[in-house]
Amino acid sequence: MSDHQLTEEEYKAQVAGVWKVTVILSIVTVVEVAAALILGPHLPKWIMNPFYAIASIAKAFFIIGEFMHLKYEKRVFMLSLGLPLFFLLWAIIAFGVEGNYLHKLLYLIK
Amino acid sequence: MAEVLEIKEHHTVHQLPTADNGEGGEKSPMNISYGKTMMWYFLLSDAFTFSAFLIAYACLRLGHKWWPNPNDVFNAMPFMGHHKIPMGFVSIMTFILIMSSVFVVRAVQEGHRMNKKGVMYWMFWGILGGAAFLGCQAWEWQHLLAEGMRPFYNVFYEGKDGLTTLWNVHEQGKPLFSPGPVAFGALFFGITGFHGFHVFTGVCLNIWGFFATANGTFEKRGHYEMIEKLGLYWHFVDLVWVFVFLAFYLM
Repeated sequence: MSDHQLTEEEYKAQVAGVWKVTVILSIVTVVEVAAALILGPHLPKWIMNPFYAIASIAKAFFIIGEFMHLKYEKRVFMLSLGLPLFFLLWAIIAFGVEGNYLHKLLYLIK
Repeated sequence: MAEVLEIKEHHTVHQLPTADNGEGGEKSPMNISYGKTMMWYFLLSDAFTFSAFLIAYACLRLGHKWWPNPNDVFNAMPFMGHHKIPMGFVSIMTFILIMSSVFVVRAVQEGHRMNKKGVMYWMFWGILGGAAFLGCQAWEWQHLLAEGMRPFYNVFYEGKDGLTTLWNVHEQGKPLFSPGPVAFGALFFGITGFHGFHVFTGVCLNIWGFFATANGTFEKRGHYEMIEKLGLYWHFVDLVWVFVFLAFYLM
């Protein structure tokens, strides 16, 4: 697949876009770590864990969409990857919820 | 004087697929090249493998009444002696891997402009970042192994008030049975090791890509799509780390 030759402005815009996403990813990571260190010991897990999960999924969206360029591909291709990933995410969450329920059942309920 | 012998290829009844005879094959669907499509679907399959491991981690961990607190296990920092800095070193590792991913994106962008020197420059830094991450992971492993952690022997046990306590094998000897939950080491070394293996192969592939670029292979080819495919693999490695970091260190 050959791209049309980029103009100087398009190139500069692309480069600026990459650094912008980098800054966003760095900020999200810093917020995640700061929350883990400052709020983590005090707030219960059922608040912190969804927060971490959402932050990580946000990072994933940026990496997949911008760095891996998936956002700019044809929609059907995006879906052919996005739908399986969505189901995979559902599976992970479902197993996590089930595991958490089992943990409560086994150890916390007298 | 060597005579050139012309060999006529005889096509059998079934002709090779071309864009003309309706069997396609030359034009890749969905406006994305076959090579990139293949890499994407391979990465999707690899995502399923990693997810299976992380789900196993979640199930095994939640199946235990008590599990070591990550902040009390992963708090070492190189050159900081015995100072405990929870999440410190792993944050640095995350940052290194994200930055090396950014460098590879820049290399791909320079590839679009057929800028050979630009590609080489950014791939170099991307490779360095990957190697640095591997070095950090090796240090983390070495530190845990030195404390006595093994795949099926866990030195972090449930101490007073449920606090994560390190059983100092050097001072207190090594009991026959693992002081803490047995699966901890296997899960940590297994999953970070599997990820580290991907980082290692990624670094090797990137090094090859760097030298292929230097040799002019892609200049001759007219496009730097190979660098783009290597970049996709490298971003996937970064992505997996985001979720390994989430599972082991944050949750």
